[in-house]
Amino acid sequence: MSLTINLTVNGNTQSATAEPSTSLLDFLRDTLNYKGTKLCCNTGECGACTIIYNGKPINSCVTLAADANGAEIVTIEGLADGDKLHPVQQAFIDTGAVQCGYCTPGYIISVKVLLDRTKEPTPEDIEEAVSGNICRCTGYTKIVDAIQLAADRMAGRS
Amino acid sequence: MAKAEHTVVGTSPARMGGVERVIGAGIYGIDLSLKDELHGGILRSQYAHAKIMSIDTSEAKKVPGVHAVVTAADAPDVRYGRTYIDRYMLAKNKVRYMGDPVAAVAAESPALVKQALKKIKVVYEPLSVVLDPEETMKPEAPILHEDMPLPKNLPADVKVKNVCSYTPVHAGDPDKAMAEADIVVDEVYETKMIHPQYLEPRIAAARVEPDGRITVWANAQAPFSVRTDVARLLGIPLNKVRILSTELGGGFGGKASGITSGAAIEPICALLAVKAKRPVMIVLDKAEETISTTIRSGAKMYIKTGVKKDGTIVARTGKVIYDAGAYSGFGAMAGARCTNMLGGWYLMPNVHIDGYVVYTNKQVCGPVRGPGGPQAAFAVESHMDSIAAKLGMDPVEFRLKNTPKPGDKIVGVPKLRDVSLGETIRTAAEQIGWGKVKLEKNQGIGIATGSWIESAGPGGGAVVKVNEDGSVTVHIGKIDMGTAPGFGIPLIAAEELGIPVSDVTVVKVDTDASPWDAGTVGSRAMLVSGTATRLAAIDARNQLFKLAATQLEASPDDLEIKDKQIRVKGTPSKSVSLASVATAAHNVIGEVIGRGYFDNVAMVAEEKARGSSQPFTTHACIVEVSPDTGNVKILKYVAVHDIGFPIHLASVEGQIEGATAMSIGQALCEQVVFDNNGRTMNPSFVDYLMPTINMMPRIETTLVDGYPGSGPYGAKGAGEIACVPPMAAIANAIYNATGVRIRTLPLSPENVFRALREAGKA
Repeated sequence: MSLTINLTVNGNTQSATAEPSTSLLDFLRDTLNYKGTKLCCNTGECGACTIIYNGKPINSCVTLAADANGAEIVTIEGLADGDKLHPVQQAFIDTGAVQCGYCTPGYIISVKVLLDRTKEPTPEDIEEAVSGNICRCTGYTKIVDAIQLAADRMAGRS
Repeated sequence: MAKAEHTVVGTSPARMGGVERVIGAGIYGIDLSLKDELHGGILRSQYAHAKIMSIDTSEAKKVPGVHAVVTAADAPDVRYGRTYIDRYMLAKNKVRYMGDPVAAVAAESPALVKQALKKIKVVYEPLSVVLDPEETMKPEAPILHEDMPLPKNLPADVKVKNVCSYTPVHAGDPDKAMAEADIVVDEVYETKMIHPQYLEPRIAAARVEPDGRITVWANAQAPFSVRTDVARLLGIPLNKVRILSTELGGGFGGKASGITSGAAIEPICALLAVKAKRPVMIVLDKAEETISTTIRSGAKMYIKTGVKKDGTIVARTGKVIYDAGAYSGFGAMAGARCTNMLGGWYLMPNVHIDGYVVYTNKQVCGPVRGPGGPQAAFAVESHMDSIAAKLGMDPVEFRLKNTPKPGDKIVGVPKLRDVSLGETIRTAAEQIGWGKVKLEKNQGIGIATGSWIESAGPGGGAVVKVNEDGSVTVHIGKIDMGTAPGFGIPLIAAEELGIPVSDVTVVKVDTDASPWDAGTVGSRAMLVSGTATRLAAIDARNQLFKLAATQLEASPDDLEIKDKQIRVKGTPSKSVSLASVATAAHNVIGEVIGRGYFDNVAMVAEEKARGSSQPFTTHACIVEVSPDTGNVKILKYVAVHDIGFPIHLASVEGQIEGATAMSIGQALCEQVVFDNNGRTMNPSFVDYLMPTINMMPRIETTLVDGYPGSGPYGAKGAGEIACVPPMAAIANAIYNATGVRIRTLPLSPENVFRALREAGKA
């Protein structure tokens, strides 16, 4: 039994069918071809598949596509404005926070939501915002630097 | 290291491929899809040790949508391995760990793959299982590999079983020196297996081309070794196999299959594609990934040291039992390294250490970020503090007292060219506030040092092609998993050819086109491919100068290249653009193609003559230990390194920070846990536990001036060495805080609490 899913991805209306058991991650990656959102643990533990779902960051691997009918979704592909990167994307590059880059889309989404909410995140805010994202390459030091740089730039402090 | 003469190397511009990664456009292995592809899956053993009595695939083959079912019977009777050739691609006659691949299926959908795998009937005769690395050596242990001989160099009087490699590290007269020592400290340390836990799952995709050649896509660290294995295991000529590398979502040695008896999914995938006559892709899910791919060995280390009252070390004896798991994998190399490093990197005139690499019915181990080093350093550097405590000597002073000088030898290194160990110790001590910082109740301070090989290993080449617009493509055999090929290598080509970094493209590995390479392993990307790229760029530059000389009416020797211009030194107005010279080359030689090599034999000879310039490091930390829960919180962490000249500064820092974090994980929480039957108990992130941002301190990295290494511009490898000291630094800080010495990892709340309670301190 296939279901028809209507949703908005990065401002574009999309409609496609999915099985009731299909995860939103698989639906985005395999059906709608948004491959920037990454598959890793598939059990909601690592944050590589983080997307913005009706304004909130969620793990798309443990969300059903069927539940996303009518949802407004933003993926990593929806952040840049043409060739101009979102400040969070630019900050991750500038600080050397992108090593293998596999966790990066999930981080950038989590941080975008944080910085949309607050211009002056405390260290605790930063830690909380990305506590669900795992990175094995960086030891987190340069990721914290990237988040701080993005916050400063977005608030006009840097 | 005359840094002033360089304009590009030594800086930290944006990594190559950064934009595609932050917009989600990078094509990792998992993002591939081939037209008409089938899904592949692997049936894995549910016994840790058993005879295979029969395999019946007939029902699986009947499932509609199934295009191929393969077992060992479908492949040539050929085994593979690194030092010991002890493993089949698909298990034959026996399985030796819970996860050993037994059969594989290609079908139209993942669901059909699962259905077909369930219908394969394997009859096993279970055998007794041995999991403990010491038990496996005893006479009563079951034999894992009946047809593999014991190592040839094993002394006749050593009666052991299941040993696949033996390393004797013997020098001087340790018995006599030990007898004359004022103090002898004798301890046993143990580390557990950990998983590299790169985030991107292992994949393989394979397609038989119309001309009969096989293309394999791999997110592997050693594409040329994958080519070797695919050709050998399928029994086809090497020139019929082409490996294309994808972006890698992390590796850390865990994706170095091909150079070990590793996961071997690429040959299995290729076999399925041949049998199914359709492209096939295999993606491992997290649980399968965790139980079946190669992981870091656990080690049991006996270590005994004699010292004089003044703190001079006179002798060390010991034994390393290095757990390879079910197949030898990278064990012989890593076990030998661990055995040498148990001798330490201080002055050590007399030493007698025996290293045994053993088979157990557990997951296969491979190279993981500094194979053998972190294990040995946990023992060596914890032990140094135990000795210092017994001497009543300050741990920093004790280490400095035994630090070698230029020209000295250390275990495994006949001659040191220069030694920055002392500088790293002093700098780390100062930064952490050694002897000065005021510690609160339950807080402790710890320090530990480390070294790593400036390793000998295969050579490697580079080709630098100059396009007619003056941009260049660099062809090397190494892949970009967040390391030198994406960060430092482009800087080298830019430096030598006077072009912006953004004009350099390092091409992904294609075994049909890239120079052969042993793989992105062993802290060697910069040493091998950096050296080769520099020489290739210089070769290209010389060709450009020759082409430009006539036009500029000058000798090639009088030319220089800067800002995309070739000009006469001292007369900048006499210049011609790089693009026009590269374009003019079309009419002469076609294209400027520079070639360069890292000559390993020459480097080994030079190091023998001049001595080796090892990278050294010291880490120090302050921790707080909760006597109520056993939880250890790191309050401050400093990592001081000599890595020679840092070619891409942020990348070097990033390697140090990431490697430190991996070992902090192994120190505080990580281990692969097996039950009594050999089943992995924690094949998920939630159960495995690795560092998240919540438990990580800021890693404060400092690069001391140090000494030039053998890499380009005096660089030394930086990818692994920071994995070496953290475990002991933390254990030493816990000891400083509590007076309790914990000798088995991890230093988890449970283990720390138990140790504190046993000592009456919790």
